[in-house]
Amino acid sequence: MYLILIVFAFIALYPLFFVLITSLKSAGEYINNKLLLPQKATFANYRYVWINGNMLKYFINSCILIPAALIVYLFVCISAGFAFGRMRFPFRFSIFLSVLFLMIFPQMLLSIQIFQIIRNMRLVNTYVGLILVWVAYFAPFGTYIMTTYYSSVPMEIVESARIDGASIWQMLFRIMVPIAKPMIVIIVIIGFQSMWNELPFSLLLLQTEHLRTITQGIGMMQGQYGLDDTILTAAIISAAIVPFILFIFFQRQITMGSYGGAVKG
Amino acid sequence: MMKSEAVDSYLLIMPLLLLLAVFILYPVIANIYLSFFKWKGMGRATFTGFDNYQTMFKDQTFWTSIKNTSILLLYIPLGTILPIMISAFLREGLKGWPIFRAIIYLPNILGYVIIGMIFSIVLRKLGPLNGVLTVLGLGNLALDWLNKPDLALNSLGIVYGVWIRLGFGCIFFLAAMSSIDESLYDAAKIDGALWWRTFWNVTVPSIRFSIEFWIVLSCIEILARAFPFIYTFTRGGPGFATFTLEYGIYNAGFIAFNMGYASAWASVLFVFCGIIAFFQVELMRKNINA
Repeated sequence: MYLILIVFAFIALYPLFFVLITSLKSAGEYINNKLLLPQKATFANYRYVWINGNMLKYFINSCILIPAALIVYLFVCISAGFAFGRMRFPFRFSIFLSVLFLMIFPQMLLSIQIFQIIRNMRLVNTYVGLILVWVAYFAPFGTYIMTTYYSSVPMEIVESARIDGASIWQMLFRIMVPIAKPMIVIIVIIGFQSMWNELPFSLLLLQTEHLRTITQGIGMMQGQYGLDDTILTAAIISAAIVPFILFIFFQRQITMGSYGGAVKG
Repeated sequence: MMKSEAVDSYLLIMPLLLLLAVFILYPVIANIYLSFFKWKGMGRATFTGFDNYQTMFKDQTFWTSIKNTSILLLYIPLGTILPIMISAFLREGLKGWPIFRAIIYLPNILGYVIIGMIFSIVLRKLGPLNGVLTVLGLGNLALDWLNKPDLALNSLGIVYGVWIRLGFGCIFFLAAMSSIDESLYDAAKIDGALWWRTFWNVTVPSIRFSIEFWIVLSCIEILARAFPFIYTFTRGGPGFATFTLEYGIYNAGFIAFNMGYASAWASVLFVFCGIIAFFQVELMRKNINA
């Protein structure tokens, strides 16, 4: 049984391991030594990727863009999740099912029209435009998770606040958020990883070079003809390091959140 | 009290609904509308009736994309049985599980773009997979995984249809199995049932709902989430070997700037997605009511 798992772990890990060791080799060494650990590890590839390849700028872009997007994302998911999960209103169930229904459509199917819409709003090449599209695309799943969570929360806490006559926005901060803290952490992490790794919409809406996200950055590096594997792998590791670290720290939450239903890639 | 709750509720769901209406509902409907026109993305759109659809049905790449998607869907059984069997082994308890869980879940968190890129390197003719095979003396298995059309499509099937979801699948099915009544297993043991019998007669039937859910999920992943992966993996090639409907939309719309034509492809994809979505919503509905 352990044998199966070891083989399994090996199959899962080797590709990543290979990319890592390749990124530490010089192009010359790579030609002769493809499979094994580098004899002379070098960071030259990383230096190239981060400086010549502009990866630093893209990294900072992603670090600014994604927290901003996550704030909007959280606002939408928590509000709607609470309403669907805890409140009563006409057509609640049908609207909720419609939201779930709309979750299926792929990015490519939407892209042509989304570009037109964003262009008409004059939000091409802005982070505002991309955030709106990202939230529209990723929030339904987050809402679904929050809805499932809120519907399992005991009634008393909510009821007492309503009787107090609290306004909806007071309810938002004093109740909805605190009682859902663990779940909020989960959807933040899932949202973060979805957004960090997102490519089609970023490529579509961020056409100016200095606005690009890090995933766009490596996507475009791959398109470059004649680029050394050693450099490309360094780029890959650079982009992968953040989700990876996040994963190390938040493993439990991530795996917990994923079987709350479906997982968006 | 009732009235104010309804008003409050609508206020709360308004941001989500607004975003969905503008960025998902409208685009889906507008696609169908646009498929009856010819348009370059700028300037005027000319009405062309069913021309785009006629062209599409005569277009060999369209039928290739349908064939490719069908072949990818054929990997779903493997992508379902494998994690189930592995989970069935694992459910008996394992030391050091958290570490293993972390390792097998890794592909999921790195994202399809990164994984696609990694495998576009690993599966090269002179890449590490073939290197390892050669070292192990299996040199004649070291094929040109990415450049021979059939191999490329099947490599896509194995990596995207099976490998990429193995980790998550195990965690998913383990969770499903954790709620199976232990007494069923005790009864089976008393009956003298061997592992295989128990597996098919106790474990599998008990997680039927999860299996249905997983299959629908896999269909969605292949029909509607594969583009970023295929883009970085093989760019739809070699030739059109890994071309799918999603890729067809990308090609027609963003490479050839034939927006009306791309919308026709999108409308076909819309129909397939709609069908799967009904199954998914049905399952989710049952899940919530349960």
